[in-house]
Amino acid sequence: MSYLNMQGVSYTYAGWPAVVRAVNWDITVGEFHGLIGRSGCGKTTLLKLAAGLLQPDAGQVTLAGAPVLQPGPKTGFVFQSPTLLDWRNVLDNVLLPIRIQRTPLEIEVERAEQLLSLMGLSEFHQHFPRQLSGGQQSRVAIARALILEPAILLMDEPFAALDAITREDLQNDLLALCRARKTTVFFVTHDIAEAVYLADRVAVMAHGRIRSDVRIDLPKARDSATRYSPRFNEICAQLRQAMDGVAA
Amino acid sequence: MKSDRLYAWLLLLALLLGWEGLTHVMHFSALVLPAPSVVAAALWRGLVSGYLWPHLMQTLLELVLGLLSGCVLGFSSGILMAESPRLRSTLMPYVLTSQVVPKLALAPLFIVWFGFGTLPIVVMTALICFFPLMENTLTSLQQVDANRLELFRVLGATRAQTLWRLKIPAGLPVILAGLRVAVVLALVGAVVGEFVGASKGLGALIIAAQGSMDTPLMFAVLLLITLLGLTLYQLTLALEQWLLKPYTRTV
Repeated sequence: MSYLNMQGVSYTYAGWPAVVRAVNWDITVGEFHGLIGRSGCGKTTLLKLAAGLLQPDAGQVTLAGAPVLQPGPKTGFVFQSPTLLDWRNVLDNVLLPIRIQRTPLEIEVERAEQLLSLMGLSEFHQHFPRQLSGGQQSRVAIARALILEPAILLMDEPFAALDAITREDLQNDLLALCRARKTTVFFVTHDIAEAVYLADRVAVMAHGRIRSDVRIDLPKARDSATRYSPRFNEICAQLRQAMDGVAA
Repeated sequence: MKSDRLYAWLLLLALLLGWEGLTHVMHFSALVLPAPSVVAAALWRGLVSGYLWPHLMQTLLELVLGLLSGCVLGFSSGILMAESPRLRSTLMPYVLTSQVVPKLALAPLFIVWFGFGTLPIVVMTALICFFPLMENTLTSLQQVDANRLELFRVLGATRAQTLWRLKIPAGLPVILAGLRVAVVLALVGAVVGEFVGASKGLGALIIAAQGSMDTPLMFAVLLLITLLGLTLYQLTLALEQWLLKPYTRTV
């Protein structure tokens, strides 16, 4: 069953050539989709269109059949930088999406604490963002995006600034969390290996268009062995070729 | 760090001793440069006899009232102008013009309007405090990180929520820096305002001491003004550090 659907979506920033051109893409409920491409290919814009942060000039974006006209609580968004509020402690940062709507219920505070525990941050509730490492801040940002239990998570290179080891840890935790909740994910990255490791399907974007659509036929359960399997490398090479092909 | 502070105090002591010695060796008249001991005696007399207190209280009153009203006004206009570009472009030339006019030059006019006494000086002090607060509030609210603004859009926050939960807390360090500037300027405003037209207050006392050629008293009052300024500045600094604790704590 399709959840996020984009039909002929185009977008142009005033005074510039079109950034996103007639993109069709469809994400089935519970699937993890990666979107890769070079800097400036329009992938972040496409994600913002999916979130309702931008409205397409042409075409339509729908979530569970309903047109996306503005950002809503069904969508969780994780930015390139953690964008935490420095003056709020970790727990308050996670509860922010609820506070915007109303005072959090006790059960919601518990849910926030649970999410933080799942993220390995159970001892950091009262800490302020500045007191955390980059990886820990990213974890808080993910917990914040999940607090409203969104059906779909949109992620814009959330791990780009982290070191390789921390990134792998976060990738595993993210996969586990999303599988457990059956969250649909649309994940933008410029890292081919990251996309292959995380995703069920990967779109390659260039010059505003989706140029390639690759289903990742690796076993669902991924671990460090996956990263070194021959099939993993084959898919990476195939995607790399797809990216190079459009550059030439 | 600790030894630096010790050196600072030692330097002060050396300067005072040098000053004291110089006045004795050169036989300066107390009218021109009174020795520190003479100044200290004048200050002590003034404090013990209760002569200085009403003046100190008067200046403090003007200072606090002017600072409060000026800061509240500056802060709220900063917010209004940051939130409404139309209001900003309409009002900015007027605000700027009003700030370019030396406000101390307006003191005689305020005395015509508001009479002698506390009010004209409070108004002038408020006018002086207004600008740094407005300017810093306006600037900080316009500089909020675009990603965080987008986050609040994703979360469906209203304009008021974005203002109170994001823009003002994010701008707080810059706004408080404006407050620190305002505190220092407020003291100048109050004292110089009293020069022009007041019968009470530390500024008025300096003019009176000049009239009666009581230079030691003048020095004593200057000392009091300096102490008042330093105390207020330190209080503001403490308030700032307390409010900004979450922003700066890293361990």
